[in-house]
Amino acid sequence: MRVLAVFAFLLIFSVASAAAPARYDLQPEESTVGFTWFFGKDPIDGSMPVASAKIAIDFQRLANTTVRVAVDVTEARAGFVFATQAMRGPRILDAARHPLIVFESTAVRPDGAAAIVEGLLTVRGVTRPVVFGAQLFRQRGTEEGDLSRISILVTGSLSRSAFGASGWSDLAGDEVRLRILARLRRADEE
Amino acid sequence: MRSFGNGADRFGLVTRVLHWSTALLVLGTLPLGLYLAGAEIGLSTLWLFGLHKSIGIAVLGLALVRLVWHRLSPPPPPMASVPAWQVRAARWTHRVLYVLIVAMPVSGWVASSATGIDTVIFGGWTLPRIAPVSERWEEVGFAVHGALAAALLTLIALHMAGAVHRRDGTLRRMLRG
Repeated sequence: MRVLAVFAFLLIFSVASAAAPARYDLQPEESTVGFTWFFGKDPIDGSMPVASAKIAIDFQRLANTTVRVAVDVTEARAGFVFATQAMRGPRILDAARHPLIVFESTAVRPDGAAAIVEGLLTVRGVTRPVVFGAQLFRQRGTEEGDLSRISILVTGSLSRSAFGASGWSDLAGDEVRLRILARLRRADEE
Repeated sequence: MRSFGNGADRFGLVTRVLHWSTALLVLGTLPLGLYLAGAEIGLSTLWLFGLHKSIGIAVLGLALVRLVWHRLSPPPPPMASVPAWQVRAARWTHRVLYVLIVAMPVSGWVASSATGIDTVIFGGWTLPRIAPVSERWEEVGFAVHGALAAALLTLIALHMAGAVHRRDGTLRRMLRG
């Protein structure tokens, strides 16, 4: 679904009518948790399905926004079969013992036309603070000011070795770039 | 009429085909393995691992077929003109070569199994794992594989030198029977 327009978070504050955080449900079939890693010099794209998501957005006071998302490592794909096996294996994500990667926000604040989302990421049992950038979009088919269906693009990068997922460092780079496109529907919408 | 089996003083067609096909595959996959050991691996070179493993398993298969075949159709004795010390040297070279062309693919299979990643040959057949998924097993497996490669290269050089050095028809009967 193509994005029609970008809304600054401050603009959204002015049109929003909700006084408290609004709960949103993730539309998993239209959302993607994508990542890019480097096989030698070659960038390889992978993805992971979302296992669960709890998102509450306060458009008037962004600091009240909370996000908790878990992704399913056992169904993660790393671009090609061998890489997927290696990624799920004990030397990287160890999916058999740690089937979920969990992100829980600790702070959300505006950053110009976007937002900064700070939180704790738990990968293979190791929890580290992370910082991501986020942009909010209105979905196609919604009117200006209608926040019942929105899309959030989250980007950032992390070091896999910081979480102990350091296997095959001679073949795969340490940096993993995230690109998450979450399509959300307000929970009280029918 | 061409004979498939070995005779009292000749190598039959089956032995010659097994010998030269094994030689070709080994001489092809050894340098490939050396290249892979030092190359920067990326998407464009990933398929070479599959090729190396496929050839290695083919060599193992041919070696086992050859061992069985030589039970059924024993190879001829060395040429009568060969000095006794050369006969002993050739016999031991051949024995060690047999051990190496079996041990090399097996050690590679062990190391590959230990990585935890499927060992896939000929584009689609997955070999069963023959070692536990373990970094230690992988490390030792590849170290043994590398050491055996060096030994095999040395033995092949000796074997070829011996075959060429003899001008008594030994090489000719492996070429033409």
